[in-house]
Amino acid sequence: MLLVGLLIFTLFSGCAKGQQKTINVFCGAASKPAMDESAQAFEKKTGIKVYCNYGGSGAVLSQMKLSKTGDLYVPGAPDYIPKAERDDAIDTKSVKIIAYLIPVIAVQHGNPKNIQSLSDLAKPGLKIGIGNPDAVCLGLYAIEILDYNHLLAEVGKNIATQAESCEKTATLLSLKSVDTVIGWHVFHDWDANNIDVVYLKPEQIPRIAYIPAAISTFTKDRDSAQKFIDFLVSKQGQDIFSKWGYITTESEARKFAPNAETGGEYELPDTYYELLGK
Amino acid sequence: MFKGVTISALALLILFFVGILVSMVSYTDWNTFISALLSREILFAIRLSLTTATVATILSMLIAIPVAYAISQTEFPGKNIVDSLLDLPIVISPVALGAALLVFFNTPVGAGIDAHIIKFVFAVPGIVLAQITVISALAVRLLKSTFDSIDPRYEQVGRTLGCSKPEAFLRITLPLAKDGLIASGILTWARATGEFGATITLAGATTMKTETLPIAIFLSLASADIEKTIAVIFVLIIIAVVALIIMRKIIGRRYVI
Repeated sequence: MLLVGLLIFTLFSGCAKGQQKTINVFCGAASKPAMDESAQAFEKKTGIKVYCNYGGSGAVLSQMKLSKTGDLYVPGAPDYIPKAERDDAIDTKSVKIIAYLIPVIAVQHGNPKNIQSLSDLAKPGLKIGIGNPDAVCLGLYAIEILDYNHLLAEVGKNIATQAESCEKTATLLSLKSVDTVIGWHVFHDWDANNIDVVYLKPEQIPRIAYIPAAISTFTKDRDSAQKFIDFLVSKQGQDIFSKWGYITTESEARKFAPNAETGGEYELPDTYYELLGK
Repeated sequence: MFKGVTISALALLILFFVGILVSMVSYTDWNTFISALLSREILFAIRLSLTTATVATILSMLIAIPVAYAISQTEFPGKNIVDSLLDLPIVISPVALGAALLVFFNTPVGAGIDAHIIKFVFAVPGIVLAQITVISALAVRLLKSTFDSIDPRYEQVGRTLGCSKPEAFLRITLPLAKDGLIASGILTWARATGEFGATITLAGATTMKTETLPIAIFLSLASADIEKTIAVIFVLIIIAVVALIIMRKIIGRRYVI
Protein backbone atom coordinates (compact mmCIF):
# COMPACT_ATOMS: atom_id res chain seq x y z
CA MET A 1 0.00 0.00 0.00
CA LEU A 2 2.74 2.37 1.10
CA LEU A 3 4.77 1.55 -2.02
CA VAL A 4 1.84 2.28 -4.30
CA GLY A 5 1.24 5.52 -2.45
CA LEU A 6 4.87 6.54 -2.86
CA LEU A 7 4.79 5.70 -6.58
CA ILE A 8 1.70 7.82 -7.13
CA PHE A 9 3.24 10.66 -5.15
CA THR A 10 6.42 10.68 -7.25
CA LEU A 11 4.39 10.50 -10.46
CA PHE A 12 2.34 13.46 -9.35
CA SER A 13 5.35 15.59 -8.38
CA GLY A 14 6.88 14.70 -11.72
CA CYS A 15 3.78 16.02 -13.47
CA ALA A 16 3.76 19.25 -11.50
CA LYS A 17 7.43 19.92 -12.30
CA GLY A 18 6.76 19.32 -15.97
CA GLN A 19 4.57 22.38 -16.05
CA GLN A 20 7.26 24.70 -14.78
CA LYS A 21 9.35 26.30 -17.50
CA THR A 22 13.05 25.55 -17.34
CA ILE A 23 15.98 26.78 -19.33
CA ASN A 24 19.47 25.32 -19.51
CA VAL A 25 22.47 27.58 -19.55
CA PHE A 26 25.86 26.28 -20.68
CA CYS A 27 28.06 28.55 -18.64
CA GLY A 28 31.78 29.21 -18.43
CA ALA A 29 33.01 29.02 -14.90
CA ALA A 30 34.22 32.63 -14.89
CA SER A 31 30.74 33.91 -14.06
CA LYS A 32 29.63 31.21 -11.63
CA PRO A 33 28.97 33.14 -8.41
CA ALA A 34 27.01 35.87 -10.14
CA MET A 35 25.14 33.44 -12.41
CA ASP A 36 24.09 31.28 -9.47
CA GLU A 37 22.55 34.26 -7.72
CA SER A 38 21.04 35.63 -10.93
CA ALA A 39 19.41 32.28 -11.65
CA GLN A 40 17.80 32.23 -8.22
CA ALA A 41 16.64 35.85 -8.47
CA PHE A 42 15.25 35.22 -11.96
CA GLU A 43 13.29 32.19 -10.78
CA LYS A 44 11.84 34.18 -7.90
CA LYS A 45 10.80 36.92 -10.29
CA THR A 46 9.42 34.91 -13.21
CA GLY A 47 8.96 31.34 -11.96
CA ILE A 48 11.21 30.09 -14.75
CA LYS A 49 13.84 27.67 -13.42
CA VAL A 50 17.38 28.14 -14.67
CA TYR A 51 19.78 25.20 -14.69
CA CYS A 52 23.41 26.21 -15.11
CA ASN A 53 25.94 23.68 -16.39
CA TYR A 54 29.38 24.98 -15.48
CA GLY A 55 32.78 24.14 -16.81
CA GLY A 56 35.47 25.54 -19.05
CA SER A 57 33.95 27.64 -21.84
CA GLY A 58 35.21 25.20 -24.46
CA ALA A 59 34.14 22.11 -22.53
CA VAL A 60 30.55 23.29 -22.11
CA LEU A 61 30.46 24.33 -25.76
CA SER A 62 31.43 20.76 -26.65
CA GLN A 63 28.65 19.47 -24.44
CA MET A 64 26.15 21.84 -26.01
CA LYS A 65 27.17 20.89 -29.55
CA LEU A 66 27.16 17.17 -28.88
CA SER A 67 23.88 17.06 -26.98
CA LYS A 68 22.21 19.55 -29.33
CA THR A 69 20.42 21.01 -26.34
CA GLY A 70 20.68 24.19 -24.34
CA ASP A 71 19.05 27.57 -24.31
CA LEU A 72 21.91 29.93 -23.54
CA TYR A 73 25.68 29.92 -23.94
CA VAL A 74 27.59 32.19 -21.58
CA PRO A 75 31.35 31.70 -22.06
CA GLY A 76 33.96 33.39 -19.92
CA ALA A 77 35.41 35.45 -22.75
CA PRO A 78 34.46 36.75 -26.19
CA ASP A 79 36.95 34.40 -27.88
CA TYR A 80 34.45 31.58 -27.81
CA ILE A 81 31.70 33.45 -29.59
CA PRO A 82 33.34 33.22 -33.04
CA LYS A 83 34.03 29.54 -32.33
CA ALA A 84 30.41 28.93 -31.40
CA GLU A 85 29.29 30.88 -34.48
CA ARG A 86 31.44 28.78 -36.78
CA ASP A 87 29.80 25.70 -35.35
CA ASP A 88 26.31 27.17 -35.79
CA ALA A 89 25.69 26.79 -32.09
CA ILE A 90 24.49 30.28 -31.28
CA ASP A 91 22.35 33.04 -32.69
CA THR A 92 24.88 35.81 -33.28
CA LYS A 93 22.27 38.53 -33.28
CA SER A 94 21.32 37.71 -29.70
CA VAL A 95 24.77 38.29 -28.18
CA LYS A 96 24.76 40.73 -25.28
CA ILE A 97 27.63 41.78 -23.05
CA ILE A 98 26.92 40.95 -19.43
CA ALA A 99 30.04 42.06 -17.60
CA TYR A 100 33.69 42.94 -18.13
CA LEU A 101 36.75 41.15 -16.82
CA ILE A 102 40.16 42.70 -16.30
CA PRO A 103 43.21 40.46 -16.46
CA VAL A 104 45.38 40.93 -13.38
CA ILE A 105 48.19 39.30 -11.48
CA ALA A 106 46.59 37.38 -8.63
CA VAL A 107 48.75 36.57 -5.61
CA GLN A 108 48.43 34.85 -2.28
CA HIS A 109 46.93 36.89 0.51
CA GLY A 110 49.43 39.41 1.80
CA ASN A 111 51.56 39.09 -1.36
CA PRO A 112 54.37 37.13 0.34
CA LYS A 113 56.55 37.13 -2.78
CA ASN A 114 56.12 40.90 -3.15
CA ILE A 115 55.04 40.93 -6.76
CA GLN A 116 54.40 44.48 -7.85
CA SER A 117 54.53 44.34 -11.63
CA LEU A 118 54.40 42.09 -14.65
CA SER A 119 58.18 41.94 -14.97
CA ASP A 120 58.39 40.66 -11.38
CA LEU A 121 56.91 37.43 -12.73
CA ALA A 122 60.32 36.68 -14.25
CA LYS A 123 61.91 36.48 -10.79
CA PRO A 124 63.82 33.20 -10.60
CA GLY A 125 62.23 30.51 -8.45
CA LEU A 126 58.72 31.92 -8.71
CA LYS A 127 55.94 29.40 -9.33
CA ILE A 128 53.31 30.69 -11.73
CA GLY A 129 50.05 29.10 -12.75
CA ILE A 130 48.01 29.96 -15.82
CA GLY A 131 44.95 28.50 -17.46
CA ASN A 132 45.75 26.03 -20.21
CA PRO A 133 45.80 28.35 -23.24
CA ASP A 134 44.20 25.77 -25.53
CA ALA A 135 41.28 25.15 -23.25
CA VAL A 136 40.79 28.17 -21.00
CA CYS A 137 40.21 31.76 -22.18
CA LEU A 138 42.07 32.99 -19.15
CA GLY A 139 45.17 31.08 -20.23
CA LEU A 140 44.96 32.55 -23.70
CA TYR A 141 44.84 36.08 -22.25
CA ALA A 142 47.82 35.28 -20.04
CA ILE A 143 49.95 34.28 -23.02
CA GLU A 144 48.71 37.28 -25.00
CA ILE A 145 49.67 39.69 -22.22
CA LEU A 146 53.11 38.14 -21.79
CA ASP A 147 53.68 38.11 -25.55
CA TYR A 148 52.45 41.71 -25.95
CA ASN A 149 54.89 42.85 -23.25
CA HIS A 150 57.77 40.78 -24.67
CA LEU A 151 58.03 38.73 -21.47
CA LEU A 152 56.86 35.37 -22.78
CA ALA A 153 60.30 33.71 -22.82
CA GLU A 154 61.47 34.92 -19.40
CA VAL A 155 58.19 34.45 -17.54
CA GLY A 156 57.47 31.24 -19.43
CA LYS A 157 60.28 29.54 -17.51
CA ASN A 158 58.37 30.07 -14.28
CA ILE A 159 55.08 28.60 -15.41
CA ALA A 160 54.74 25.55 -13.17
CA THR A 161 51.37 24.34 -14.26
CA GLN A 162 48.39 24.97 -16.49
CA ALA A 163 44.93 24.70 -14.98
CA GLU A 164 42.17 23.05 -16.93
CA SER A 165 39.54 25.61 -16.09
CA CYS A 166 39.09 29.19 -14.97
CA GLU A 167 38.05 28.43 -11.41
CA LYS A 168 40.83 25.84 -11.08
CA THR A 169 43.26 28.64 -11.84
CA ALA A 170 41.88 30.52 -8.85
CA THR A 171 41.92 27.36 -6.73
CA LEU A 172 45.65 26.99 -7.42
CA LEU A 173 46.10 30.12 -5.33
CA SER A 174 43.57 29.21 -2.67
CA LEU A 175 45.42 25.93 -2.13
CA LYS A 176 48.77 27.75 -2.21
CA SER A 177 49.94 25.37 -4.90
CA VAL A 178 51.57 28.23 -6.79
CA ASP A 179 52.86 31.67 -5.80
CA THR A 180 50.87 33.61 -8.37
CA VAL A 181 48.52 33.26 -11.32
CA ILE A 182 47.47 35.52 -14.15
CA GLY A 183 43.79 35.70 -13.43
CA TRP A 184 40.67 37.83 -13.55
CA HIS A 185 40.17 40.74 -11.18
CA VAL A 186 37.14 38.97 -9.70
CA PHE A 187 39.32 36.23 -8.19
CA HIS A 188 39.69 38.40 -5.11
CA ASP A 189 35.93 38.56 -4.74
CA TRP A 190 35.69 34.80 -5.11
CA ASP A 191 38.14 34.13 -2.28
CA ALA A 192 38.97 37.33 -0.43
CA ASN A 193 40.70 35.41 2.37
CA ASN A 194 43.31 33.80 0.16
CA ILE A 195 43.61 35.86 -3.01
CA ASP A 196 44.81 39.43 -3.52
CA VAL A 197 45.18 41.11 -6.89
CA VAL A 198 47.87 43.32 -8.36
CA TYR A 199 46.63 45.43 -11.27
CA LEU A 200 48.70 45.72 -14.42
CA LYS A 201 49.63 49.08 -15.86
CA PRO A 202 47.01 50.24 -18.37
CA GLU A 203 49.41 50.16 -21.31
CA GLN A 204 50.30 46.54 -20.56
CA ILE A 205 46.80 45.24 -21.27
CA PRO A 206 46.13 44.59 -24.97
CA ARG A 207 42.56 43.37 -24.57
CA ILE A 208 39.79 43.52 -22.00
CA ALA A 209 37.57 40.52 -21.76
CA TYR A 210 33.86 40.46 -21.34
CA ILE A 211 31.30 37.83 -20.52
CA PRO A 212 28.90 37.49 -23.46
CA ALA A 213 25.59 35.71 -23.40
CA ALA A 214 24.01 34.28 -26.52
CA ILE A 215 20.87 32.31 -27.28
CA SER A 216 21.70 28.83 -28.48
CA THR A 217 20.41 27.56 -31.81
CA PHE A 218 19.23 24.45 -29.98
CA THR A 219 16.82 26.31 -27.71
CA LYS A 220 13.30 25.04 -27.38
CA ASP A 221 12.06 28.08 -25.45
CA ARG A 222 13.47 31.16 -27.11
CA ASP A 223 11.14 33.38 -25.17
CA SER A 224 12.38 32.32 -21.75
CA ALA A 225 15.99 32.40 -22.95
CA GLN A 226 15.55 35.98 -24.15
CA LYS A 227 13.89 36.88 -20.84
CA PHE A 228 16.91 35.61 -18.92
CA ILE A 229 19.37 37.56 -21.07
CA ASP A 230 17.23 40.66 -20.60
CA PHE A 231 17.28 40.01 -16.86
CA LEU A 232 21.07 39.71 -16.82
CA VAL A 233 21.51 43.11 -18.49
CA SER A 234 18.74 44.74 -16.44
CA LYS A 235 19.54 46.77 -13.35
CA GLN A 236 18.74 43.86 -11.05
CA GLY A 237 21.06 41.49 -12.93
CA GLN A 238 23.82 44.05 -13.25
CA ASP A 239 23.62 44.83 -9.55
CA ILE A 240 24.18 41.15 -8.80
CA PHE A 241 27.25 41.09 -11.03
CA SER A 242 28.55 44.31 -9.47
CA LYS A 243 28.11 42.83 -6.03
CA TRP A 244 30.38 39.95 -7.00
CA GLY A 245 33.07 42.32 -8.25
CA TYR A 246 32.36 42.16 -11.99
CA ILE A 247 32.63 45.39 -13.92
CA THR A 248 29.37 46.24 -15.60
CA THR A 249 30.06 49.25 -17.79
CA GLU A 250 32.61 49.65 -20.54
CA SER A 251 33.61 53.08 -19.26
CA GLU A 252 34.54 51.61 -15.89
CA ALA A 253 36.48 48.82 -17.58
CA ARG A 254 38.32 51.37 -19.73
CA LYS A 255 39.70 53.00 -16.59
CA PHE A 256 41.98 49.99 -16.25
CA ALA A 257 43.04 49.90 -19.87
CA PRO A 258 42.00 52.94 -21.89
CA ASN A 259 43.59 51.80 -25.13
CA ALA A 260 42.78 48.14 -25.00
CA GLU A 261 40.62 46.37 -27.54
CA THR A 262 37.56 44.45 -26.50
CA GLY A 263 36.50 41.21 -28.02
CA GLY A 264 38.11 39.57 -31.00
CA GLU A 265 40.27 36.50 -31.12
CA TYR A 266 43.89 35.89 -30.27
CA GLU A 267 45.99 33.20 -31.88
CA LEU A 268 48.75 31.54 -29.87
CA PRO A 269 52.13 32.60 -31.28
CA ASP A 270 54.78 30.17 -32.52
CA THR A 271 57.01 31.22 -29.64
CA TYR A 272 54.49 29.65 -27.27
CA TYR A 273 54.79 26.29 -28.99
CA GLU A 274 58.59 26.59 -28.91
CA LEU A 275 58.30 27.21 -25.20
CA LEU A 276 56.36 23.98 -24.79
CA GLY A 277 58.81 22.01 -26.85
CA LYS A 278 61.72 22.60 -24.52
CA MET B 1 18.20 -22.29 -23.21
CA PHE B 2 20.70 -21.20 -20.56
CA LYS B 3 23.50 -21.11 -23.08
CA GLY B 4 21.33 -18.96 -25.33
CA VAL B 5 20.70 -16.48 -22.54
CA THR B 6 24.37 -16.20 -21.61
CA ILE B 7 25.51 -15.82 -25.22
CA SER B 8 22.80 -13.18 -25.74
CA ALA B 9 24.05 -11.26 -22.71
CA LEU B 10 27.57 -11.34 -24.15
CA ALA B 11 26.32 -10.24 -27.54
CA LEU B 12 24.35 -7.35 -26.04
CA LEU B 13 27.35 -6.10 -24.08
CA ILE B 14 29.64 -6.26 -27.10
CA LEU B 15 26.97 -4.62 -29.25
CA PHE B 16 26.72 -1.79 -26.71
CA PHE B 17 30.43 -0.98 -26.80
CA VAL B 18 30.75 -1.49 -30.54
CA GLY B 19 27.74 0.78 -30.96
CA ILE B 20 29.44 3.55 -28.99
CA LEU B 21 32.61 3.16 -31.03
CA VAL B 22 30.77 3.21 -34.32
CA SER B 23 28.84 6.36 -33.35
CA MET B 24 32.17 8.09 -32.70
CA VAL B 25 33.51 7.21 -36.14
CA SER B 26 30.99 9.52 -37.76
CA TYR B 27 32.35 12.45 -35.73
CA THR B 28 35.88 12.32 -37.01
CA ASP B 29 37.70 11.49 -40.21
CA TRP B 30 40.83 9.63 -41.24
CA ASN B 31 42.88 12.78 -41.82
CA THR B 32 42.13 14.23 -38.39
CA PHE B 33 42.95 10.88 -36.83
CA ILE B 34 46.33 10.58 -38.59
CA SER B 35 47.30 14.19 -37.90
CA ALA B 36 46.38 13.73 -34.24
CA LEU B 37 48.28 10.43 -34.00
CA LEU B 38 51.45 11.91 -35.50
CA SER B 39 51.35 15.29 -33.73
CA ARG B 40 54.10 16.06 -31.24
CA GLU B 41 51.55 16.62 -28.53
CA ILE B 42 49.91 13.22 -28.87
CA LEU B 43 53.15 11.30 -29.42
CA PHE B 44 54.33 12.84 -26.17
CA ALA B 45 51.08 11.87 -24.47
CA ILE B 46 51.38 8.27 -25.72
CA ARG B 47 54.93 7.94 -24.40
CA LEU B 48 53.96 9.55 -21.10
CA SER B 49 50.86 7.37 -20.63
CA LEU B 50 52.73 4.14 -21.40
CA THR B 51 55.73 4.86 -19.17
CA THR B 52 53.79 6.19 -16.17
CA ALA B 53 51.21 3.40 -16.27
CA THR B 54 53.89 0.71 -16.50
CA VAL B 55 55.96 2.18 -13.66
CA ALA B 56 52.84 2.65 -11.52
CA THR B 57 51.69 -0.89 -12.17
CA ILE B 58 55.05 -2.46 -11.31
CA LEU B 59 55.29 -0.47 -8.08
CA SER B 60 51.65 -1.16 -7.17
CA MET B 61 52.01 -4.88 -7.75
CA LEU B 62 55.19 -4.97 -5.65
CA ILE B 63 53.21 -3.37 -2.81
CA ALA B 64 50.00 -5.28 -3.42
CA ILE B 65 51.41 -8.80 -3.52
CA PRO B 66 52.63 -8.89 0.10
CA VAL B 67 49.58 -6.94 1.29
CA ALA B 68 47.15 -9.26 -0.46
CA TYR B 69 49.03 -12.29 0.85
CA ALA B 70 48.84 -10.92 4.39
CA ILE B 71 45.10 -10.32 4.19
CA SER B 72 44.46 -13.62 2.50
CA GLN B 73 46.63 -16.00 4.48
CA THR B 74 47.34 -14.39 7.82
CA GLU B 75 45.12 -13.89 10.79
CA PHE B 76 45.47 -10.72 12.80
CA PRO B 77 43.15 -8.68 15.03
CA GLY B 78 41.00 -6.17 13.20
CA LYS B 79 41.39 -8.03 9.89
CA ASN B 80 37.80 -7.41 8.83
CA ILE B 81 38.09 -3.68 9.38
CA VAL B 82 41.36 -3.48 7.45
CA ASP B 83 39.80 -5.49 4.66
CA SER B 84 36.92 -3.04 4.41
CA LEU B 85 39.18 -0.02 4.65
CA LEU B 86 41.17 -1.27 1.67
CA ASP B 87 38.00 -1.08 -0.42
CA LEU B 88 37.62 2.64 0.30
CA PRO B 89 40.05 3.98 -2.33
CA ILE B 90 38.04 2.13 -4.95
CA VAL B 91 34.80 3.72 -3.75
CA ILE B 92 36.15 7.23 -3.28
CA SER B 93 36.33 9.07 -6.57
CA PRO B 94 39.85 9.45 -8.00
CA VAL B 95 39.26 13.21 -7.96
CA ALA B 96 38.89 13.05 -4.19
CA LEU B 97 42.10 11.03 -3.91
CA GLY B 98 43.93 13.56 -6.07
CA ALA B 99 42.61 16.45 -3.99
CA ALA B 100 43.62 14.63 -0.78
CA LEU B 101 47.14 14.18 -2.15
CA LEU B 102 47.30 17.85 -3.10
CA VAL B 103 46.26 18.81 0.42
CA PHE B 104 48.88 16.45 1.86
CA PHE B 105 51.62 18.16 -0.13
CA ASN B 106 50.47 21.42 1.40
CA THR B 107 51.23 20.20 4.91
CA PRO B 108 54.73 20.87 6.34
CA VAL B 109 55.74 17.21 5.88
CA GLY B 110 54.37 17.00 2.37
CA ALA B 111 55.79 20.35 1.32
CA GLY B 112 59.18 19.24 2.59
CA ILE B 113 59.07 16.04 0.57
CA ASP B 114 57.92 17.94 -2.50
CA ALA B 115 60.68 20.51 -2.22
CA HIS B 116 63.64 18.38 -1.13
CA ILE B 117 63.10 14.75 -2.10
CA ILE B 118 60.94 14.36 -5.20
CA LYS B 119 58.72 16.96 -6.79
CA PHE B 120 55.26 15.43 -7.14
CA VAL B 121 52.89 18.39 -7.46
CA PHE B 122 52.45 19.43 -11.11
CA ALA B 123 55.25 17.08 -12.16
CA VAL B 124 55.52 13.68 -13.84
CA PRO B 125 56.23 11.74 -10.58
CA GLY B 126 52.87 13.12 -9.47
CA ILE B 127 51.23 11.24 -12.33
CA VAL B 128 52.81 7.98 -11.15
CA LEU B 129 51.85 8.70 -7.54
CA ALA B 130 48.27 9.54 -8.47
CA GLN B 131 47.98 6.34 -10.50
CA ILE B 132 49.49 4.22 -7.72
CA THR B 133 47.08 5.73 -5.18
CA VAL B 134 44.10 4.85 -7.33
CA ILE B 135 45.15 1.38 -8.53
CA SER B 136 46.79 -0.11 -5.43
CA ALA B 137 43.54 -0.95 -3.69
CA LEU B 138 42.28 -2.53 -6.90
CA ALA B 139 45.46 -4.60 -7.21
CA VAL B 140 45.15 -5.77 -3.60
CA ARG B 141 41.51 -6.73 -4.13
CA LEU B 142 42.32 -8.73 -7.28
CA LEU B 143 45.37 -10.42 -5.78
CA LYS B 144 43.50 -11.33 -2.60
CA SER B 145 41.05 -13.33 -4.70
CA THR B 146 44.01 -15.04 -6.35
CA PHE B 147 45.66 -15.98 -3.08
CA ASP B 148 42.32 -17.02 -1.58
CA SER B 149 41.98 -19.62 -4.29
CA ILE B 150 45.28 -21.30 -3.41
CA ASP B 151 45.01 -24.10 -0.91
CA PRO B 152 47.37 -23.32 2.02
CA ARG B 153 48.13 -27.02 2.24
CA TYR B 154 50.62 -26.77 -0.60
CA GLU B 155 52.68 -24.27 1.34
CA GLN B 156 52.34 -26.30 4.51
CA VAL B 157 53.60 -29.43 2.75
CA GLY B 158 56.51 -27.42 1.42
CA ARG B 159 57.32 -26.27 4.94
CA THR B 160 57.37 -29.86 6.18
CA LEU B 161 59.78 -30.70 3.38
CA GLY B 162 62.26 -28.08 4.59
CA CYS B 163 61.34 -24.80 2.93
CA SER B 164 61.47 -21.63 5.01
CA LYS B 165 58.38 -19.43 4.92
CA PRO B 166 59.77 -17.01 2.28
CA GLU B 167 61.03 -19.95 0.21
CA ALA B 168 57.63 -21.60 0.36
CA PHE B 169 56.00 -18.37 -0.77
CA LEU B 170 58.38 -17.78 -3.67
CA ARG B 171 58.72 -21.35 -4.92
CA ILE B 172 55.24 -22.69 -4.30
CA THR B 173 52.57 -20.05 -3.82
CA LEU B 174 53.69 -17.48 -6.38
CA PRO B 175 54.04 -19.91 -9.28
CA LEU B 176 50.63 -21.34 -8.39
CA ALA B 177 49.24 -17.82 -8.50
CA LYS B 178 50.75 -16.92 -11.87
CA ASP B 179 47.50 -16.76 -13.83
CA GLY B 180 45.91 -14.55 -11.23
CA LEU B 181 49.03 -12.40 -11.07
CA ILE B 182 49.06 -11.89 -14.82
CA ALA B 183 45.36 -11.09 -14.97
CA SER B 184 45.59 -8.70 -12.01
CA GLY B 185 48.65 -7.03 -13.49
CA ILE B 186 47.01 -6.47 -16.84
CA LEU B 187 43.83 -5.10 -15.30
CA THR B 188 45.81 -2.83 -12.99
CA TRP B 189 47.85 -1.55 -15.93
CA ALA B 190 44.68 -0.88 -17.88
CA ARG B 191 43.19 1.06 -14.96
CA ALA B 192 46.40 3.06 -14.60
CA THR B 193 46.43 3.99 -18.28
CA GLY B 194 42.88 5.27 -18.06
CA GLU B 195 43.44 7.18 -14.81
CA PHE B 196 42.30 10.79 -15.08
CA GLY B 197 40.71 12.40 -12.01
CA ALA B 198 43.56 12.04 -9.54
CA THR B 199 46.16 12.72 -12.22
CA ILE B 200 44.67 16.00 -13.39
CA THR B 201 44.16 17.20 -9.80
CA LEU B 202 47.67 16.40 -8.56
CA ALA B 203 49.80 16.70 -11.68
CA GLY B 204 47.79 19.32 -13.53
CA ALA B 205 46.86 19.54 -17.20
CA THR B 206 50.02 21.12 -18.55
CA THR B 207 50.38 20.60 -22.29
CA MET B 208 53.49 18.63 -23.24
CA LYS B 209 54.49 18.18 -19.64
CA THR B 210 51.90 16.24 -17.62
CA GLU B 211 49.62 15.47 -20.52
CA THR B 212 48.66 11.79 -20.51
CA LEU B 213 46.26 10.47 -23.15
CA PRO B 214 43.12 10.83 -20.97
CA ILE B 215 44.18 14.40 -20.15
CA ALA B 216 44.81 15.08 -23.85
CA ILE B 217 41.27 13.90 -24.56
CA PHE B 218 39.92 16.20 -21.86
CA LEU B 219 41.90 19.20 -23.13
CA SER B 220 40.68 18.66 -26.69
CA LEU B 221 37.11 18.53 -25.45
CA ALA B 222 37.76 21.63 -23.35
CA SER B 223 38.94 23.43 -26.49
CA ALA B 224 35.60 22.60 -28.16
CA ASP B 225 37.51 20.53 -30.75
CA ILE B 226 35.28 17.48 -31.03
CA GLU B 227 37.03 15.99 -34.06
CA LYS B 228 40.39 16.00 -32.29
CA THR B 229 38.79 14.62 -29.12
CA ILE B 230 37.38 11.61 -30.96
CA ALA B 231 40.65 11.13 -32.84
CA VAL B 232 42.61 11.00 -29.58
CA ILE B 233 40.04 8.61 -28.09
CA PHE B 234 40.70 6.24 -30.98
CA VAL B 235 44.44 6.67 -30.47
CA LEU B 236 44.01 5.61 -26.84
CA ILE B 237 41.85 2.63 -27.82
CA ILE B 238 44.36 1.41 -30.38
CA ILE B 239 47.37 1.91 -28.11
CA ALA B 240 45.57 0.07 -25.34
CA VAL B 241 44.50 -2.84 -27.55
CA VAL B 242 48.02 -3.22 -28.98
CA ALA B 243 49.63 -3.03 -25.54
CA LEU B 244 47.19 -5.53 -24.00
CA ILE B 245 47.70 -8.02 -26.82
CA ILE B 246 51.48 -7.71 -26.57
CA MET B 247 51.38 -8.14 -22.78
CA ARG B 248 49.26 -11.26 -23.02
CA LYS B 249 51.60 -12.72 -25.63
CA ILE B 250 54.84 -11.94 -23.83
CA ILE B 251 53.80 -12.89 -20.32
CA GLY B 252 51.77 -15.83 -21.53
CA ARG B 253 54.72 -17.21 -23.49
CA ARG B 254 57.14 -17.01 -20.60
CA TYR B 255 54.87 -18.96 -18.33
CA VAL B 256 53.83 -21.67 -20.74
CA ILE B 257 54.73 -24.98 -19.17
